[in-house]
Amino acid sequence: MEKVMCYIPKTLNEALEIRNKEDVIVLAGGSDLMVSHKRTIGLTPKFDKSVMIIRNLPEIRKIYMDGSECHIGAACTSREIAESPLVPWHVRQAASRMGAIGLRNSATIGGNIANASPKGDTPGPLYLLDARVKIASTDGVREELVSDFIIKFRTIDLKPNEMITEVILPLSEDDFDYVFWHKVGTRKANAISKVTLSQAVKFASDGTVCDYRASATATGSKTNRSRDVENIIIGKRIAPELIEEVIAAFDGIISPRAMPEFRRESCRRSIRRFLTEAEKRRIEGCRDKVIDTYDGYYVPCAPVCRLS
Amino acid sequence: MDKTISFKLNGEAVSITTDPLRRLLDVLREDFKCHGVKEGCSEGECGACSVLLNGEMVTPCLIPLGAADGQEVVTVEGITATEKGDIIVQAFADGGAVQCGFCIPGMVVAAYYLLSRNPNPTEDEIRLGISGNLCRCTGYDLIVESIKLAASRGGDIWKK
Repeated sequence: MEKVMCYIPKTLNEALEIRNKEDVIVLAGGSDLMVSHKRTIGLTPKFDKSVMIIRNLPEIRKIYMDGSECHIGAACTSREIAESPLVPWHVRQAASRMGAIGLRNSATIGGNIANASPKGDTPGPLYLLDARVKIASTDGVREELVSDFIIKFRTIDLKPNEMITEVILPLSEDDFDYVFWHKVGTRKANAISKVTLSQAVKFASDGTVCDYRASATATGSKTNRSRDVENIIIGKRIAPELIEEVIAAFDGIISPRAMPEFRRESCRRSIRRFLTEAEKRRIEGCRDKVIDTYDGYYVPCAPVCRLS
Repeated sequence: MDKTISFKLNGEAVSITTDPLRRLLDVLREDFKCHGVKEGCSEGECGACSVLLNGEMVTPCLIPLGAADGQEVVTVEGITATEKGDIIVQAFADGGAVQCGFCIPGMVVAAYYLLSRNPNPTEDEIRLGISGNLCRCTGYDLIVESIKLAASRGGDIWKK
């Protein structure tokens, strides 16, 4: 077998120079690429282009706050993200339930976005929180909403000389009154999402909804979120008929292929559960922010904890 | 294209000239004779090949050798040569954790990783700690009991 080149740059600038000269496959954690290019036991994976390993680039392996925005380096692993108190709750939830421990120590957020799988764990929360990707090349840097960057199944808006360097989160659970994240998988560990709903709501002082968001993964060719659907409830007080209206509209934007009715019903129940419980808690004055369960089906989530 | 890759393996500096896209798993088994690193699923699901990379448990079937350049790798051979590793091995033997034995090197690495981060785990935390390691004999209960035994026998050793 003909061997391809493998670059192991030591700095981000070096990596960008290589990317500028050659259209290399960028490999971070390897949890997707090593599987999709694998051959049989004992054989080296077969790549059709040169590969550049960026797993250990220090510039893109840190999490920090810049003002109120959380910046996550593209090569940060799921474990680093799940354990960082700086990272917004929804993203931590998704990172903490991705694969199992060994995989979470390899898989990166940049890779999860670049893989552009509709079942990817992090895009749901990233869409929900209007996250942006920072993209660098030797020509400079640019930013783009994750929801625009992921064009469709396995297709991203990345030029051959560009690299994802950071994910930027302008919002967190602090910007909402109640939050919801629920992954339906076949088991607790190593589960690929059957469907995952991320939601958040904020009320105005008069009890009307001033912000509501919902995103679903594994329900179409990319993560689904629609401002039109969310606008149905914004400016109004939550009521059962209104919830059903939101559910029907959300049902209209998703297009699950396999097991469509199961996935649609999971979305309906998640939205109904979240909005009903949020309104109940608002009326009761309950400040417990996390709404994480289906009726009669409890899956514990990590509590909200952030640095003040 | 071959490259020289240098890293620390079980505390010793090593170096090898080969294709950096070879899986770390293959290099550990074939070139460094670390046969405790078992290949099960080849896609990061079963945990049989678990090793520590810079102290973090990973599955080297998913890691190209080049990603280990300049890093530190510890296999089950390195772990069992330590006092902590010895406690785990003895607890697994006394607790009857081993059936066919194929998953056990990965389980030992997972137990070591868990107890090093959490010296007094609850049963749920132990089950979570080995949730990426599959035992096809389904002998999880005795493995969990053996990890509890290792935690109690090790005591303060795990806090070091």
